[in-house]
Formats: sequence, C-alpha cells, structure tokens
Amino acid sequence: MKTSFIAFWRRNLALAELGIVTNLEYRFNFIIDAFIQPVLTVGIEVLLWLAIFRTAENGLIGGFARENYLAYAVWAPFLGRIAISWMYESMMVEEVVSGSINTILTRPLSFFEYYLSQTLGYKVVTTVFSMTVPLAASYYFDLPVYYDRLPLMFGLVIYYVLLVHTMSFIVATLGFYLTRVRSFTLLKNLTLLLLGGELVPIDLMPKALAEVLLILPFSSGVYIPLAYLTGRGDAQLLWNGFFNVTWALAFCGLLSYVLWSKGVKQYTGTGA
Amino acid sequence: MSGNLSTVIKKYLSLYKAFFKASLVADLEYRLNFVFLVFAEFVWYSTQLILFEVLYRHTSIIGNWNLAQMRVFIFLVLFVDSIYMILWDPNFSSFTDNVRKGSLDLLLMKPINSMFMLSSQRISVSHLPCFFITGAGLIWALAQLPDFNWYKLFWLLILIPSGLSVIFCGRFALNSTSIIFTRADFLQYIWYSLFRLGLRPDAIYSGFVRIILIFVLPFAMVASIPARMLLEPPSYWMLAWGMILPFILFYLLKKYWNYCLRFYSSASS
Repeated sequence: MKTSFIAFWRRNLALAELGIVTNLEYRFNFIIDAFIQPVLTVGIEVLLWLAIFRTAENGLIGGFARENYLAYAVWAPFLGRIAISWMYESMMVEEVVSGSINTILTRPLSFFEYYLSQTLGYKVVTTVFSMTVPLAASYYFDLPVYYDRLPLMFGLVIYYVLLVHTMSFIVATLGFYLTRVRSFTLLKNLTLLLLGGELVPIDLMPKALAEVLLILPFSSGVYIPLAYLTGRGDAQLLWNGFFNVTWALAFCGLLSYVLWSKGVKQYTGTGA
Repeated sequence: MSGNLSTVIKKYLSLYKAFFKASLVADLEYRLNFVFLVFAEFVWYSTQLILFEVLYRHTSIIGNWNLAQMRVFIFLVLFVDSIYMILWDPNFSSFTDNVRKGSLDLLLMKPINSMFMLSSQRISVSHLPCFFITGAGLIWALAQLPDFNWYKLFWLLILIPSGLSVIFCGRFALNSTSIIFTRADFLQYIWYSLFRLGLRPDAIYSGFVRIILIFVLPFAMVASIPARMLLEPPSYWMLAWGMILPFILFYLLKKYWNYCLRFYSSASS
C-alpha cells in the first residue's frame, strides 16, 4: 500500500516537473503568458473602472468604493488565467482524436493523472510568478486585500482547477465519439468566462441572476475567491464555493467515468 | 494596363470564390461542431454586451456615453470583429503552424500574392450568423437614438475598412514575426491583449494613451472613432486620418513582410 503510494507520488511529481519544464523552455512565451497578457488586461480594466467611478454618485457602486473595484480588477485576470484550461485541454483532445493516446494507454498510469499533474505543475509555476504582479499592485496602491485570506483563497482556486481538469477530460473523451470537438473547448471556456465573474463582479448583476450564478460551481473560479480576498464576501461564501465545487466534481467525475469506459471499449487504437 | 488590372481582379475573385466554397464544405462537414462554434461565438459576443448592460445598472455615464450610445459602440465593435473573424481569423490562427511545419514553402511558391494566400485561404462560415445579428443589433441601437441622422452611416463605408486594416495589418505583422522566432505562441497572446484595447471605448483612455491608440497603435479606429462619427458632430480630420491610415499600414506591412521573409529558411526556420 505504502509502496504503491510512493510510486504514485513520484510518478506524478515527475509529470508536474515535466509540465513546469515544458512551459519554462520557451521563456519569452512564458513571460508573455504569465505576465504581459494579464498586466495589459488589468491596465484596461482598471481604466474602465476609473472611468465608471468618475460619474458614480456617492463614490459607491453596489455599496462598494472605487478601491474595492480596483482590487477586483487587478486580481481577476490573474485568477482567470489560472482557472481556465486551453492548452492542456487542446493537447488531451488531440491525443484522443489523433490516436496518439495509444502511447499513454500502454503506460502504467492513467490518461487523467498524466495530464492533471502536468496541468497542476503548469498552474503552480504560473501562479508563483504571475501573482507577484497583483500582490505588488495591491500593496503599492494600498488596495483593500485581506492577505491572511490568501491561503484559503488559493485552496479554493486549486480545488476548482481540479474541476476544470475533469471537464477538460470529459471534452477529450468526446473525441472517442466525435471527429471534431474543438468547438466544445471554445464553448466551455467562454461559458466559464461568462459565469465565473471575471468580467464583472457577480454581486452587480440582477439579484435573481446573481443567486443562480452563486449556486453554480463556476463562480468558485474567480468571483468567490476574489470576493473573499477583497472583503466583498465572508468565510460562509467561501465554504459555499468549496461545497459547489464538490458536488460538481462528483457529477463530472461520474460522467467522465462513464464516457471514458464506453469510449475506450469502442476505441480501435489506430485513431478514433 | 486597365485590362491587366481587371484580369488580376477577376483571378483573385475567382480564387476567393473557390476558397469560400471549400471552407463552406469543410465547416459543414462536421455539423455538430459547426453548431457549437456558432453558439460559442454568441456566448463571446454576449459577454461583451452583458458587461456593459450590467455596468449601466449602476451608473448612467461611462466615458461620456450613456447606455444607448454605448450600445451603438458595442454592436459596432462586434460587427467589425465578426467581419474580421469571417475573413481572416482562421488563417492567422494557423499562420505560426504554417511557418513551423514548413507548409509556408508551398504557399510562397504559388503564382499569387503570398500575403493574399496566407490570409484568405480559409473563411470562417460559422461567424456569418454573428455578422447578420450584430449588423441588425447596430441598426436597432441606432434606431434607439433620438434624431439620429441615418446619412451618417455613409461614414462607415470609409471607417470600417480603415478599422479592418488596423486589425489585418496588426495581426499579419505580429504573425510575420513568427518567422524570426522558433516558437511564437506568445504572439497570439500579445495580439489578444492588444485587441482588447479596441473592445473598450476610447473615452476611458485619456491624454497620452489616447493619442497612442489613435496614431501609434490605432485600435481606436476599430470602433471608437467610427462610433464617435455616428454619435457626435463629425470630425473631418479623423475622417481624413481614417482614409490615409490603411495606405500607411499596408505600405509598412509589405516592407515588414519582405524583411521577415529574409529570415525564412524553409521548415522549422
């Protein structure tokens, strides 16, 4: 039992390292991905919020001051980058559709863990480097951020990444049944962007819609962690986020198990 | 001379017709994928609309536009974006792969303009519904404005092509850089970040940044300036800039493309 766990741990650590090394190989790519793109996005969103507050009555919107929104605008694009999967999902889909998944199926590890560990390695290295920007901006501009809440906030984001990876796995398994599934990735990720609260804090939306979005697990990717970090929400909201991700994980886990089992059985090995 | 020109135009139009047919057949081959692509585009366009609809629930003015004026801007930006997506996006998305895998060799050897071949081979049919819906949305948004002078729409005949030239030349130039570098995925990231500048009204930028967005990285020409021409008294120097800009951009792009090609050493250059 102990030996098998050590083997599992070593194997996945090696895969996580593979994810890190692969992404750091082309440093310029990495810098643009982890720093420049989110920084530009932050710049534009901050300017938008400053323009909105120029005409805001009482200096408050939805009960919160300008600094609260600036804090949200500074952090949201960075969390959004972590809580979404484009690259690894495309790779997983390609493996299934092209038939190159054969090389993984014959190894003593699962397709799910092979990509999960790499995804987590990539997310960790991206987080470590890119989070310096919102941290420095929050500190320098004295934005309302509860730094002691950071560990729990990251805990929820990483837990959410597990859900996102499971959804990516589901999209990839669809490759067993359909020849083209690229549009599923696009649709899934855009829906996550819309429902996650990256564009605008969910509490600004109409009350009924906001309540629905908070029940769904997708708000645990950006809105709930940020609401908790910036003081828009309390610990109760965060635990609701953990709960929502848990039931979504159970549902997606079951669905992915069924799709994978059926898909592998009918897979012919020379390409789906 | 004019006979030659008309022959060339006919040749390119017939090529474009063939590209369109091939793209239509390719897109409709996988129907479920096609339906999901159309749906995904609607989700993306909805996010842009919803953002401002939500913001205007809490404020009456952003920049110096009210909600009715902002709707004109948003539908205009989405309309221009849909044209770009239909005509060029699939080609630009596969540009770096063409360079890395060496298929650029084949395209360069064809007896037609290499820039045309690289940018126009694939047409995104899945964006056609978005084109019609955002166009209808623009007309609807303009109809909501009191006393809108519909003759102003003629300005768009100059300004939309000008905005499209900004997108085309910007993306083509960035992609051309992939010939110089080995792996250039970052160019896509840079493009999407820069393009976001055009998705927001120029009124949120002020001073130096705004000047840069009009003259240096002219993303304000994509929709902000055209929207201003529709919503505000016409600025003739802006119109003149809109007419000159495509010529400057295409001249610079051609120079840069030829410069980048000097670095090309066939597959995996």
